[in-house]
Amino acid sequence: MATVSTAPAPGMHQIDLSKLNLHQLGQLKQQLDQELNVCQDSLQTLKMAQGKFVESGECVEKISPESLGKTILVPLTGSMYVPGSITDTTNVLIDIGTGYYAQKDIDGAKDYFKRKVQFVTEQMEKIQVIGIEKSRVRDAICKMIEMKMQVMAQAQQAAS
Amino acid sequence: MAEEIQKKLQKELEVFNGFQKEYHKAVALKQQLDSQLNENKVVKEELQLLKKDSEVYKLIGPVLVKQELEDARQNVAKRMEYITKEMKRTDDHISALENKQEASQENLNKLKNDLGKIKLKA
Repeated sequence: MATVSTAPAPGMHQIDLSKLNLHQLGQLKQQLDQELNVCQDSLQTLKMAQGKFVESGECVEKISPESLGKTILVPLTGSMYVPGSITDTTNVLIDIGTGYYAQKDIDGAKDYFKRKVQFVTEQMEKIQVIGIEKSRVRDAICKMIEMKMQVMAQAQQAAS
Repeated sequence: MAEEIQKKLQKELEVFNGFQKEYHKAVALKQQLDSQLNENKVVKEELQLLKKDSEVYKLIGPVLVKQELEDARQNVAKRMEYITKEMKRTDDHISALENKQEASQENLNKLKNDLGKIKLKA
């Protein structure tokens, strides 16, 4: 789970696109395409993480004091289940990362997943903003390439 | 003469490629450390939020082993310290490699120039 900063990197400076040649513009476009891909991938991963947290949160909602003693099927492997019964409906164990599991009561667990979903959503919003900004720059570069191509074609026509 | 420079160029190119490979490796390592550090940060915050009498378990292989909350906190703090140190080491390694790469690039350019001049003369 990486945190994303929206602050511009120090040392970043503006470049006048019209001063670059076609080769440089092409390189810049390629770089931006790569960065956009990274953004898309990150968004996808975050969306998956968000889905998992939401799902876990819903599971916790389903555990109520009435579920005490009810029989369940526990998966031993992906395809083998053994019967079991719920003996504790007040506490759950939550994987909090790096192999640590914390015991929390139902309310604590609900709160945990709510916080996680919120955190992931915030990160997604940040990445979305960055992605929009990058695609805006990419569009500008594409336009500039087109313009330069036209100018070149016209010059060629005039010469012949 | 030209052959000699060609050989040198070949050698320098190999050196340069070696640096580049090592550089990519170091960057990948840094990214991995970065994500580990972030995960540990999240765990640390979560452990900080837990009540004093909360039970904490550590996954060791396939079993969950109960751990004191205080121990867990210290372990995570230690782990973060270690990762931060590793990060710094990798950072130094990366900047050293950047310098080496630059020097090698300069050498390459020089050799290419020399070769071009000789070919022009011939």
